[in-house]
Amino acid sequence: MLSHLDRKLWRDLRRMKGQAFAVAMVMGCGLAMMIMARSLIFSLESTRREYYESNRFAEVFVHLKRAPNSLAARIKEIPGVATVQPGISVQVTLDLPTLDEPASGMVLSLPDFAPPELNRLFLRTGRWLAPGSRGEMLVGEAFANANHLQPGDTIAMLLNGRRQSFRISGIVLSPEFIFESRPGAALPDNRTYGTFWMPYKELATAFDLYGAFNYLSLTLEPGGKERSVIAEMDLMLTRYGGLGAYGRADHPSHIRVSDEIRVLETMSIGFPIVFLSVAAFMINAVLSRLLNLQREQIAIMKAFGFTNRQIVLHYLKFAFVIVATGTVLGGCGGVLLGHRLVILYHQFFRFPDLAFRADRTAFPLALLVCAAAATAGVFGAVRRAARLPPAEAMRPEPPANYRPALVERTGIAHFLSHTFRIAVRNLERRPMQALFTVAGLALATGILIVPNGFRDSVAQVLDTQWDIVQRQDLSLGLVEPASAQVRHLFGQLPGVVTVEPFRAAFARVGFGHQRRQLGIQGIPPSGLHNRVLDDHDHLVKLPPEGLVVSLKLAEVLGARVGDELRVEILEGKRPVRNVRLVGVSGDFTGMTAYMALPSLNRLLGEGDVISGANFRVDGARREDFLRALKRIPRVSWVAIKDSLRENFRQTTAASIGLIQKIYLAFAVVVAFGVVYNNARISLAERARELATLRVIGFSRREVGAVLVTELVVLSLIAVPLGLLLGTGFAKAIIRSVNTETVRLPLVLTTSNYAFAVLVVAIASTLSALLVLRMLDHLDLVSALKDPE
Amino acid sequence: MFRVRGLTKVYGTGAAEVRALSGVDLDLYASELVVLLGPSGSGKTTLLNNLGGLDVPTAGELQYRGQDLTAIDEAALTRYRRDTVGFVFQFYNLIPSLTARENVGLITEIARDPMPAETALEMVNLGGRLDHFPAQLSGGEQQRVAIARAIAKRPEVLLCDEPTGALDVRTGIVVLEAIQRANRELGTLTVIITHNAIMADMADRVIHLSDGRVHHLRVNEHRAPASSLNW
Repeated sequence: MLSHLDRKLWRDLRRMKGQAFAVAMVMGCGLAMMIMARSLIFSLESTRREYYESNRFAEVFVHLKRAPNSLAARIKEIPGVATVQPGISVQVTLDLPTLDEPASGMVLSLPDFAPPELNRLFLRTGRWLAPGSRGEMLVGEAFANANHLQPGDTIAMLLNGRRQSFRISGIVLSPEFIFESRPGAALPDNRTYGTFWMPYKELATAFDLYGAFNYLSLTLEPGGKERSVIAEMDLMLTRYGGLGAYGRADHPSHIRVSDEIRVLETMSIGFPIVFLSVAAFMINAVLSRLLNLQREQIAIMKAFGFTNRQIVLHYLKFAFVIVATGTVLGGCGGVLLGHRLVILYHQFFRFPDLAFRADRTAFPLALLVCAAAATAGVFGAVRRAARLPPAEAMRPEPPANYRPALVERTGIAHFLSHTFRIAVRNLERRPMQALFTVAGLALATGILIVPNGFRDSVAQVLDTQWDIVQRQDLSLGLVEPASAQVRHLFGQLPGVVTVEPFRAAFARVGFGHQRRQLGIQGIPPSGLHNRVLDDHDHLVKLPPEGLVVSLKLAEVLGARVGDELRVEILEGKRPVRNVRLVGVSGDFTGMTAYMALPSLNRLLGEGDVISGANFRVDGARREDFLRALKRIPRVSWVAIKDSLRENFRQTTAASIGLIQKIYLAFAVVVAFGVVYNNARISLAERARELATLRVIGFSRREVGAVLVTELVVLSLIAVPLGLLLGTGFAKAIIRSVNTETVRLPLVLTTSNYAFAVLVVAIASTLSALLVLRMLDHLDLVSALKDPE
Repeated sequence: MFRVRGLTKVYGTGAAEVRALSGVDLDLYASELVVLLGPSGSGKTTLLNNLGGLDVPTAGELQYRGQDLTAIDEAALTRYRRDTVGFVFQFYNLIPSLTARENVGLITEIARDPMPAETALEMVNLGGRLDHFPAQLSGGEQQRVAIARAIAKRPEVLLCDEPTGALDVRTGIVVLEAIQRANRELGTLTVIITHNAIMADMADRVIHLSDGRVHHLRVNEHRAPASSLNW
């Protein structure tokens, strides 16, 4: 049974349903964003954690040249180590009949007769390898899906130069490859790069590694110190060609998921705060208006003996109904969006089952945050009303105090129309209402900048990368570094226009106490294909001696041009040298270092050797070229620029597209809601004034102009602020995305800004038109009778 | 100027039906000052709203200078109000965000042949309070600003709904003086609604309404100056 006061509340709400709904929607947007982001964080984190636990994902990893299996037992002796799993990991070239170009991949070994201790696989379809089987393998899901492979299909593979066919027994997932991409590649290309698993015996035999391992992973005992284990392992493995052990924090697949979680964290705090403050104000504005209209009712209630507390509570309930609606809307919206976005993640992240998991703590938190915002929003207004002595409240409100607006006091009053004066004086009299309308519109403008800025940044990186830096059509890598003579062989392939060799050497580069592991690229000093640019896109000419490193690496090391860097090569003869830092490049891919090819080869001391080449190929003969490549057994991988681009367009660009749509919807809701609310309040509070204007001969359009002028003035203030706000948001997001592995530039284009302005302008105009239509129903006669 | 025949206005339908006017016959002439008297609910305000184009009658004939006001559309009614009619209301209805001068100036912006706002305010003896906002003016002053606003466009018809209703005697007389002066100097047909019978003495004709009909009509031989009234 509703009390009479509650019944009044219910009817008041029904009368103001448009505004109440507008507030609930804005609030809902903030909550949806928060619930979505928090739930996605929760989904990714919990799914990853469970996946890691159930499939026993290792904690420390190391690649090496070759070590006897007996060494694994010694590593297990290192204090803090729990379980050790040695194995083999090799790069292979594939020959898929469906692909023109050679594909490549990584094959890992599985113990011959027992399931692996660590990094256990998850079988999606098919069956496990039969014990002691030959000619069978398991395929990673990303590659299988991209190439429509099924259990039972066969794949031809070059193992150590020998072509062999393998039957796919099952499609699997691995906690090591949640994000599956060629080592060092910023973008995944699941069509031409895959991960495979075979029995140890067969793989080891093919690569002359039987009885040995070249890859090892391990878990730590509870309390085991990762740093000391890594240090000891590195020491132990140096003579076996260890490439430097690393923990999960540096594991390429783990990093990508963590990066995504970090971006979500930024999103889950920043945006909701702004949305909710705007919503809090809107509640305040709606309630203030209601309270003004109900001054007399409040007075009567007080005259009858209702306490201030009861009255405050009554109006707080009004706010909480809106909050509850907003929470439900936001909850549903957040869950719905979360479901959509989780599906997007399936393109990038491979989990046995990545389902949307609502972060249940997010809901009470959302309700709490909103209720706090609403209470802050309404408390002042309600207290003001409740404090009024009943006798005073029953009298009509005296005419509001006005004064000439600031702009008029500058002396230009002369040129201002009366409509304009009414508008600006009203705005000045209610600075808070104006401020929050401005804040709302600015927010709507600002959030549109973010996804478009992100899209433009990524586009610029790729355009620079693919059009200016890497001007080759495709690149290939060799299984093992080879004599520079192969260059001539490459030159004779059909359709080759130009060919430039490169040498990549895995190394640890250090300065002072800082050091990082990365591949040093040796390229021809006056090369035309893969070029080195500084951060202003000017060509950096590689001097005959010395190292050029990326800005980010220089920053991380704290080194400046002219400093001597310590370079430990982690392969071949493992030389250690001091090399002078001679330049800085503006790479987007974080940690990179370049040397002139001859100078790198001198440093390595292995003679004139290359590990791959970059090509420009005559477009008409591209297929001939690719077919010929397939017949060269020493080719380990091929990267084709066009297919990378196409792949990018289908995955990353598509997800940015979805996020753009979500932000667009939010921006429209906020712009629409804020303008609607503002105009409705103006209309209600000033019905009398507007009716008077109509009575004394103003047309509907002229009266509308009074309301619209206010909104236009507010928009003109809001939009530039919104553009600034959006720039700030974009900076913050880009900063949170930027890590040691990726460095995105801040790209904000005129068309991005123009789009934001246009969307907000259209949404506000439509909303204003909706309210203006209500002017038609303005009751001229009753508005003049007596002031409420 | 006005020809009113059988004017009827019904609000609501069925059980809730209220007949505000039930067949008013009336003629109003240029330059005269008419006082409409009658108790509450007699239909005074409804009649005035119909004359001023704020409301449309349910039935009957309503002509202004031969033009049928019942047949014209919303835009034409707005034009009629803008060009022809000046309104003064009981509760002044000034725009709170505009000064006295600007409230009047608002009209002079849209009218065809307005007088300067200052002149209109002079006529109601407010020449000294041009730049005050409504909140800074007394009730009588606010009502005089409203009169200045109504006469600034040199209207042919001035309609005043209880112009002194919210004012004390002394202030009320100052306001009535202003109305009388506008009627005399501008030759505006002026209709004043009141339930104060004493004000009838300042009129050319007095029309008594009751139950939505003209009860009786009285012609004053001599118009008393507003300053001589007392109640």
